[in-house]
Amino acid sequence: MNLAYDVVVVGGGHAGTEAAAAAARLGARTLLITPDLSRIGEMSCNPAIGGVAKGVVAREVDALGGVMGRATDAARIQFRMLNRSKGPAVWGPRAQCDRRLYPAAVRRILDELGSLDLFQEMVADLLVDGGRVVGVRTRGGIEVCAASVVVTTGTFLRGRIHVGGDTGVDAGRAGEAPSVELAEGLEGLGLEVARFKTGTPPRVDGRTVDYARLERQDGDAHPARFASYVQEVIPEQRPCWITWAGEDLKNVVRENLGRSALYGGSISGRGPRYCPSIEDKVVRFPEAPRHQVFLEPEGLHTSELYVNGLSTSLPADVQLAFLRTLPGMEEVWMTKVGYAIEYDYFPPHQLRHTLELKEVPGLFFAGQINGTTGYEEAAGQGLVAGANAALRAKREPPFVLERDQAYIGVLIDDLVTRGVDEPYRLFTSRAEFRLLLRQDNTPRRLGPLAAARGLLTPEQAEVLEERLKEEDRVKAWFEETAISPESADPVLRVAGSSPIQEPTRAVELLRRPGITGEALARAGKMPEGGSLDGVLAAVEVDLKYEGYVERERERARHLRDQHDFKLPEGVPYREFVTLSFESREKLEKVRPESLAQAGRIPGVSPADLQNLMMEVRKWRRERSA
Amino acid sequence: MTLETIAAVATAPGEGAVALVRISGPDALAVLESLLPQGTPTPAVRVATRLSLLDPVSGSPLDTAVVTRFAAPASYTGEDVVELSVHGGWITPPLVLEACLRAGCREAEAGEFTRRAYLNGKLDLVQAEAVADVIGARNRALHAAALSQVERGLSRRIGDLRERLVGVEALLVHHLDFPEEDDPPVPLSRIVAEAAGLESDMEILLRTAPEGELLRDGAVAVLAGAPNAGKSSLYNALVGEERAIVTEEPGTTRDALEARVQLGGFPFRLVDTAGLREAEGKVEEMGIEVSRRYLSGADVILFCEDVGEPTPEGARAFLKDLDGTPVVRVSTKVDLGADSSPEGDAAGGWSCAVGVSVVSGEGLDVLRARMAELVFGGLVGVGGSVPVLTRARHSVGVRSALAEVRSFREELEGGVPVEIAATRLHSAKTALEEVLGLVTMDDVLDVVFKEFCVGK
Repeated sequence: MNLAYDVVVVGGGHAGTEAAAAAARLGARTLLITPDLSRIGEMSCNPAIGGVAKGVVAREVDALGGVMGRATDAARIQFRMLNRSKGPAVWGPRAQCDRRLYPAAVRRILDELGSLDLFQEMVADLLVDGGRVVGVRTRGGIEVCAASVVVTTGTFLRGRIHVGGDTGVDAGRAGEAPSVELAEGLEGLGLEVARFKTGTPPRVDGRTVDYARLERQDGDAHPARFASYVQEVIPEQRPCWITWAGEDLKNVVRENLGRSALYGGSISGRGPRYCPSIEDKVVRFPEAPRHQVFLEPEGLHTSELYVNGLSTSLPADVQLAFLRTLPGMEEVWMTKVGYAIEYDYFPPHQLRHTLELKEVPGLFFAGQINGTTGYEEAAGQGLVAGANAALRAKREPPFVLERDQAYIGVLIDDLVTRGVDEPYRLFTSRAEFRLLLRQDNTPRRLGPLAAARGLLTPEQAEVLEERLKEEDRVKAWFEETAISPESADPVLRVAGSSPIQEPTRAVELLRRPGITGEALARAGKMPEGGSLDGVLAAVEVDLKYEGYVERERERARHLRDQHDFKLPEGVPYREFVTLSFESREKLEKVRPESLAQAGRIPGVSPADLQNLMMEVRKWRRERSA
Repeated sequence: MTLETIAAVATAPGEGAVALVRISGPDALAVLESLLPQGTPTPAVRVATRLSLLDPVSGSPLDTAVVTRFAAPASYTGEDVVELSVHGGWITPPLVLEACLRAGCREAEAGEFTRRAYLNGKLDLVQAEAVADVIGARNRALHAAALSQVERGLSRRIGDLRERLVGVEALLVHHLDFPEEDDPPVPLSRIVAEAAGLESDMEILLRTAPEGELLRDGAVAVLAGAPNAGKSSLYNALVGEERAIVTEEPGTTRDALEARVQLGGFPFRLVDTAGLREAEGKVEEMGIEVSRRYLSGADVILFCEDVGEPTPEGARAFLKDLDGTPVVRVSTKVDLGADSSPEGDAAGGWSCAVGVSVVSGEGLDVLRARMAELVFGGLVGVGGSVPVLTRARHSVGVRSALAEVRSFREELEGGVPVEIAATRLHSAKTALEEVLGLVTMDDVLDVVFKEFCVGK
């Protein structure tokens, strides 16, 4: 059996599904191949989507027409807006999801796409012709030709699971075979490969937990949606539960440290600092009196709980022992054992901003294979890789998001420019324009870009247009409507703001501290119309903090100027003697596409940047002469 | 690799016992070896070795030199360096340099060794600039300030301020990026207090700037007073006694006499406007011979009076327009009069008063000390505990960082959301980094992960 497609996507996780969906939305004939079709869109670790920065990415993926936002809404059993007590630029929507509903929704959304086929097989090798990738070969010997191939293998490349201090078991995920032939095939292309580790905590049976002794955490009273274009049906809601790991647990961990795969020396890969195992927490912060443990529901139709905060590579008996030290869990039964997993990744400086390999035309990588962690980070990369894979097949210009346009842009630029030395996760502090990259304005920021490139379905594009019109209307209302003192003063009094003497424009009142758009809209009797979810929030922040937002836009424009100074492929960095030795080496390794990107390489100083600009100008002159 | 090896005579030209020829770059050792007789063992690193130098082409002897090798990166420039201590004079050093150039390096441009040291991360921008100031200093105070800068005094202080900014950012990052963690949220009051502490330390540093910058240019001391009040004699006395380190620069001022002098270890540009008598500067109704232009640019004014002929009250009216410029009441010719201690209270518009005699030399030391104290008193006061900002570039950077931190704190106190006010901190950090010419790197997360237990 021989097949031919425009785009083949290897892997069906969060990166793979977004890649396949994006390629299909762009009209490319797309095939998604994965070893187990029943596990498409699987949540391998915690049953939640979003969080600070990550929630913005989920919304960005949605605004670009992607799958994640809709699947999250359809599977959501609790919603919380993190950081709500802080400023709106750092709000982070997060949803607990039903572990079975989520993949089901992903599968349903993929099935809506006409030009996408799914196929169950493990890919064993790439078809290579003259240095370019032209397709894949499965373990069963089936060859699939394709103009572009997107590889999204997650933790499966030479995956090795560790529970306790033994030598580990080869696996891509608990109970699933790793991908070894493909890892060898990729290495055979001359790519640099390295190893990371990550971990997952044990799961427990909720029927053996004494909830009365736990702290209950409910979702927000007024939950928001992740998806902007399609209204999914939202399931029933469930609480999470909080307990605390104290001295007893720390003692169990301490006594058994030697049996941990991490501390016993069987793991060499580097793990993420922001997601430390319980072993790490106990060793690195011995003074901390206690550590928070979240018990998250795995779904509506199961009593199983995910024990967030206790990721570990200790043996099963130790895991059970430390779980039973937790208040309310003295009798607990462990349903699944936590483990650490090591896997191959390919240091991402080998990629272009399109996520195509610099040295291997036609081959794209997305997700953990690039050294990232997180469903959202994977989805964002998948969408960009899939879109570019399709655009390459169609011989159209690439689709690249910039740092001032999206967290996805920050993520990919960080990967390509700075590389990674631990599994990469997004934080708001990684973005220099976080006031621009908010969770409330994703349709305005990204919708038109996506629509212009054909990344939205006609239905999505129509909803977008409606929504942007609505935002304009609400914005105009704030700018044009004067509110009388009688209507405004109650609102002002509540916020401790001084009263007004004469009718004042709503936008001016909005800029006062503590005054919300919602209160003014009520006081000024803003016509309701078909007001869409989240429209007011998007308009409010832009108006309220206009001065600050404008300052960031100004900085972003400045960066754009540097961005527009392109560094052509053949620039001989090693010959530029006015630059420090270190920067020449770094520039040679990264081969940045613009002056702005060069400036973000660690080790390249502002002085080097100045000299680089002059050297490149000189080099161009000499070359054209 | 096409990085060139450079060479230059590092000492000033002319007759001297010893001159230093410095070679830096990947071929430094090769250049040295081509000057040595065949079979000479390679000299050890960091050991002064006496060696014969030959012309690489003709083989004729050049000199006997003491040679010191440094291996990259442990050298001034961070590259391989060879230093040849040869005989001084007009012939040997250029001859040796020429031989080096023939052996395959090029002549260094002015400042190129230091530039390479900067580019290779051996010095930051403040240090690199200070090297030039140590060499070019013509007064002890600038020399001391610059030397402390070379030894990282100022860089460390600015680096500390930057570290503390990173610390505040880390508190914010923990506050913003890691809700629901083990550590309780950082109270805003702690962040406000840290910002206020940073502000006051930046202010202390900035206080050195006006005087520090004068260390490089020299403080302008203008002599004023009635005709024949003894201005020119005093000028000559102050200049003359310091002849050894005075540069008269007649070409630089067309309308007044100006000399650079070191008084009490500090640099002054002494200006005598006596020559303006006919041309302009005579403020008729006051009988004061001085150009207003000079007065407005003065850092200190020496108001001269003949001890026998006190200036009428009305003639001092101009002192009120001086906007804080210190004025020393100088009674000249005290050797001729009885009263040698004139009154110099603030009510009269004086900063202090000194009686001098250019004939006996009486009072001149006191006058010098008073001038140094009035202009550079702040620097004397901090007594080396605070590094001195000697360039406008330094104070511009620190001042803009201060303004940003202040706005940050005020906005935070005024209820502006944290992440919005935080944009100020980024600008403040950039301003300090620009002073140091630093690589900008996001090391905030490193601090967060060290300080807080993050991860659920």
